Amino acid sequence: MNRIYDSVEPRVMDDDLLKLAVGEQGPQEEAGQLAKQEGILFKDVLSLQLDFQNILRIDNLWQFENLQKLQLDNNIIEKIEGLENLTQLVWLDLSFNNIKVIEGLDTLVNLEDLSLFNNRISKIDSLDALVKLQVLSLGNNQIDNLANIIYLRQFKHLRTLSLSGNPITQADDYKMFVYSHLPDLVYLDFRRIDDHMKALAELKYQYTVGELKHQEHLRQTRLEEERAQQGRLEEHKMAFVENLNGSFLFDSMYAEDVEGSKLSYLPIVGELLEVYKDKFVIICLNIFEYGLKQYDKRKLELDTFNECVREAIQENQEQGKLRITRFEEKHLLNLSAIREESELLNIEKKIVECSEDITELFNVLMTLEMQLVEQLEETINVFERNITDMVGLFIENVQSLMAQCRDLENHHHEKLLEIAVSTLEKIVKGELDEELPDDVRALFVDKDTIVNAVGASHDIHLLKIDNREDELVTRINSWCTHLIDKIHKDEVMRNRRRVKEINQYIDHMQSELDNLECGDLD
Amino acid sequence: MEVLKEKVEEEEAAEREEAAERAERMEKMRPAEVQKEETILTQEMLRNLEKKLSEIKIPTPAEPLVVTEDTVDISNLPLSYKTNTPKEEHLLQKFVSTTIRPTLMPYPDLYNWDGCANFVSDFLTRVPLPDPLKPPSHLYSSTTVLKQQKGNCFDFSTLLCSMLLGAGYDAYCVNGYGSQALCNMDLTREVCPLTVKPKETVKKKEKVQPKKYTIKPPRDLTSRFEQEQEIKKQEEAKAREEKRRWEEEERLLEAEKAKPDPLHGLRVHCWVLVLSGKREVPEGFFIDPFTGRSYSTQDDNFLGIESLWNHRNYWINMQDCWNCCKDLVFDLGDPVKWEYMLLGTDKPQLSLTEEEDEGLNDDDDLQDQGKETEDKSFDMPSSWVEQIEISPEAFETRCPNGKKVLQYRRARLEKWAPYLNSNGLVCRLTTYEDLECTKILEIKEWYQNREDMLELKHINNCTGLRTDYFRPGHPQALRMHAYKSMQPENDRVMEFYETARVDGLIKREETPRTMTEYYQGRPDFLSYRHINFGPRVKKFTLTNTESNPRPMVKITEQFSRNPEKPADEDVAERVFLITEERIQLRYHCRDDYITASKREFLQRSEVDSKGNKIIMTSDMCISFEVEPMEHTKKLLYQYETMMHLKNEEKLSKHQAWESELEVLEILKLREEEEEAHTLNISIYDTKRNEKSKEYREAMERVMHEEHLRQVEAPLDYLAPFLAQLPPGEKLTRIQAVRLKDECLSDFKQRLIDKANLIQARFEKENQELQKKQQWYQENQVTLTPEDEDLYLSYCSQAMFRIRILEQRLNRHKELAPLKYLALEEKLYKDPRLAEFLKALA
Repeated sequence: MNRIYDSVEPRVMDDDLLKLAVGEQGPQEEAGQLAKQEGILFKDVLSLQLDFQNILRIDNLWQFENLQKLQLDNNIIEKIEGLENLTQLVWLDLSFNNIKVIEGLDTLVNLEDLSLFNNRISKIDSLDALVKLQVLSLGNNQIDNLANIIYLRQFKHLRTLSLSGNPITQADDYKMFVYSHLPDLVYLDFRRIDDHMKALAELKYQYTVGELKHQEHLRQTRLEEERAQQGRLEEHKMAFVENLNGSFLFDSMYAEDVEGSKLSYLPIVGELLEVYKDKFVIICLNIFEYGLKQYDKRKLELDTFNECVREAIQENQEQGKLRITRFEEKHLLNLSAIREESELLNIEKKIVECSEDITELFNVLMTLEMQLVEQLEETINVFERNITDMVGLFIENVQSLMAQCRDLENHHHEKLLEIAVSTLEKIVKGELDEELPDDVRALFVDKDTIVNAVGASHDIHLLKIDNREDELVTRINSWCTHLIDKIHKDEVMRNRRRVKEINQYIDHMQSELDNLECGDLD
Repeated sequence: MEVLKEKVEEEEAAEREEAAERAERMEKMRPAEVQKEETILTQEMLRNLEKKLSEIKIPTPAEPLVVTEDTVDISNLPLSYKTNTPKEEHLLQKFVSTTIRPTLMPYPDLYNWDGCANFVSDFLTRVPLPDPLKPPSHLYSSTTVLKQQKGNCFDFSTLLCSMLLGAGYDAYCVNGYGSQALCNMDLTREVCPLTVKPKETVKKKEKVQPKKYTIKPPRDLTSRFEQEQEIKKQEEAKAREEKRRWEEEERLLEAEKAKPDPLHGLRVHCWVLVLSGKREVPEGFFIDPFTGRSYSTQDDNFLGIESLWNHRNYWINMQDCWNCCKDLVFDLGDPVKWEYMLLGTDKPQLSLTEEEDEGLNDDDDLQDQGKETEDKSFDMPSSWVEQIEISPEAFETRCPNGKKVLQYRRARLEKWAPYLNSNGLVCRLTTYEDLECTKILEIKEWYQNREDMLELKHINNCTGLRTDYFRPGHPQALRMHAYKSMQPENDRVMEFYETARVDGLIKREETPRTMTEYYQGRPDFLSYRHINFGPRVKKFTLTNTESNPRPMVKITEQFSRNPEKPADEDVAERVFLITEERIQLRYHCRDDYITASKREFLQRSEVDSKGNKIIMTSDMCISFEVEPMEHTKKLLYQYETMMHLKNEEKLSKHQAWESELEVLEILKLREEEEEAHTLNISIYDTKRNEKSKEYREAMERVMHEEHLRQVEAPLDYLAPFLAQLPPGEKLTRIQAVRLKDECLSDFKQRLIDKANLIQARFEKENQELQKKQQWYQENQVTLTPEDEDLYLSYCSQAMFRIRILEQRLNRHKELAPLKYLALEEKLYKDPRLAEFLKALA
């Protein structure tokens, strides 16, 4: 910290600087000559050392995609930045800089060794992404709160920690605190942790640590539960019947229905609603279960299909490999025969033979491939038909169940209307003994109003049901189309890849033969 | 044995006699007639005749428990019978069932029927029956048979039956008729069981149910007709071949067939029947006690059954044996088929007949019951045979004198007891090409307890191939070694226990010019290495073969897939063409590809026009890549790969060289082992293990001595004083006198001390008593009755103690001088001091 920054101009991390460093640190001697001839691409560099360069700002490192080790120590860096692309980084040294806050490390998931020695950090933070962290060096900083240690509990692989030279180390039981709160730690401040001391520390802090553990455990279970629930919901979504295993749809029908909830204050309507809800929920459950069953069926179908296709491709590949091996054996013999042959005429004859062999191999491989394409096409068509039928059946059945829902709604509507009208009559006659809230009473002004209100409620309900049905149908149809499209596309891709592969191989063989020819003719 | 004599009343041999007689009669009648008429009569007529004859047959006496005297003339018996056997065995008549004494042997090997049968067949030597057409007149007890290690078929069966019954089998001795081969233990027409190769169970390929979306096979465009014609032709050829082979076999069989036996069906044999029901035996079978082999009850060798018995009962066969034993029903509960001897056996009667009895003979019930109770009073007497015992030594030695030779068809089997042969040989099977056993085909030798873990040696006489098999534990982890000659650089195969080897080598094959190694479970995934050697370069310097290894021409290495690497970077095969200075690499194939990347390096160090060394040029590496990648095109990458490969080549060469050395080492070791053939002795083998024996004996000796010393050594008065003197030196006279004086004075002191001690205690008690009395007198008025009681009891106790002390003191005073004098005298007589003190005395 004693350096006088003003006197020296900070250096910029530009291309030249990087190239120079890469060149210096690259391969040496013979390999170095080659490297110089060809130049080194930044993305091939695995390790880079940029110490004592008076760098102020980290920059221009985005090309080093495969960098594993980066040394930026003894510079004047003030902010961690520009490291987002270095996801392969394992080793990062930022010691002896002027960093105040830990940041910008969120993408470095592979980082195992991080050194921030001799900086101006006062809080350990923003390291959540570094799940593989093993060595953390934070000595000579300004960390002064023991709570920072608790933050480090989440790193299960952390074995070495250095905090010496921080205000925190002045605390009375700093060491004991660290031992007890980080039980997996092996080295603290350049010393191996004594087992005896560790045991003592554990005893001392057993209650606080136990409390912490308990909380962590609770958090963990909650997280897991949430995840499990999420998983279930995902599965239901896959079956297109999410939220049908309860009164969710029914509740949503009444959620935006102002009139409906008002009307439920009428006598008998409450009970009616109860019965209606029960029936409705039962139908929903039916749909739900049916959906899951159908989902399993579809899955099984798809799995069988995939397996069969895979087997077919596998078998075909085996055949192809066999042919190629056989050809290669023969070809090698031929080639060596050609090499040994001295008669020009014979050589030419043999070369012709060879090239015939290559052509034959090409034909055989292509025939195999075409055969496979035909077979797969047929199978895919069968599968497509079946899956479409399945989806069709599913939609049909769901629609009929939905129709039951609608019937229920209609029935309920009629009854409600009846009750509403009779209530209106009672009100008109002044025979109503029960008290009604004012806003409900406001509906019973005349017949039109009440009929409209009931009708509006009914409309909303029907709309909800229709929407749910539409959603289901649309989604399953789109799923089906996507699936089929994907299968077709995959097959086409596979075919193209294979054809390309065959061509490439044949070309290589041919060119090898040609080269031999040239070499011999020379 | 007294008891046995008294039991004579209950025992009977008449029954057996009867049975034998009947059998004889039958034999005389039936087979003779059968043979006479054989040529004329058809099977059907024969059967009718048989039926008739059996109807005529006299039924067994209803009252079998008749006691008769022994009708066998003892004087006719061979001399050895009289001298070698205990008297009881032939003097008195006993019921045959009592010769069976069920015994479970304390050897785990003898827990199953095959173990028992093999043991009996190995342990005993066969003695032919005195008359092959009659059952023997008397039986020996199993204990005698075991002692003599020989016997006839009845002795064999009795022993085996006793053992099987002891092991929990439902076993019976069978008296019947056997074929000549069976009775004479003639195995020359049998195939040796050891030569029979286990039939390979042909796994039926499970017809996989074609899945819903299995692709349809491509259209078959070949002509159906042509195929059929082809198949027809093949079948014809096959049939011809089959026929030819069949004829050949027929011819061979004809040649091997034995001459017809004139006594067929008359030869008496005894064997063991094991019925189903116990010990999870699924169905009844016969065991021939001579060979220990099991036969089905339908076997052709067993020609008829007269009777069977075990320790519970005796059954007489009432069924017709015209078709050997094939039609016999072994339902011993059926009195129509098997006439039993004693009622109340564990075999239930057929339920059907029981019902009939109940239904039809209501009036007879009372009578029946009376009879039954009466009959039941005849319990089977307990066996007269002594406890059957087999000593561990005898069990281990097994065969008489530890050696047995069996002659099979085209094979000869020799057995030895373990440790009998110094090289550990326990079994040898010689297979011959011809029936006369002159041309040896192959020899198999089994070994046991060898230190080099050799288990089996297989010598093929035709090819000269020798194969040694080892059990785990050979110092070089050898599993198998097949060779024709022990000279190095020849054809040989070595297999290893790969888990015992650090390098995971499974197998090494050698020919004069190649060496192939197979590996498994290596961290570098090497699975195969093949080395081609060139002809040895003649060197003119004086060097031996070891310093002049054969030049390697080519090394091929194959690797299994390393799942951590992408297929394009995972080498599947690399070939070092050493003479051509070329390296070929073939990579693994990607999952969904059919071609694999290849790379070929030419190692040429050339110099360009300017005289600079060319490090790397693009034509030094020819590569084919399935998916061309950018970084592999670079010269730097290629250069580094090549440098790496050059290193690897050196390593591979070195490893190949080491392999060669190892082969030499193993061969040397093997030769040494063959020469030494030391045997291993288990530390649990207390008899053979010299070391443990010595140790045990030493321990016993020490224990014994310790015991003796404890008994003998009395108290030595002089010991503490002698200990003061320098040990081992002879006493001088002055020392002896001083010793005596010291000893006496010490004793005197002790006596005085003792007197003082008693005196002191006496005084103390007195004082305490006085104090207590004083206290009592002072506080007499205020005392409670309890305290007074306490005081009184204390007084009486104290007085008692004082009196005792007084007595002891007096006694001590009396005895002390006597004791002193006694010691003095003893010291004068002490052998150590006597000669010095004599003068004094």
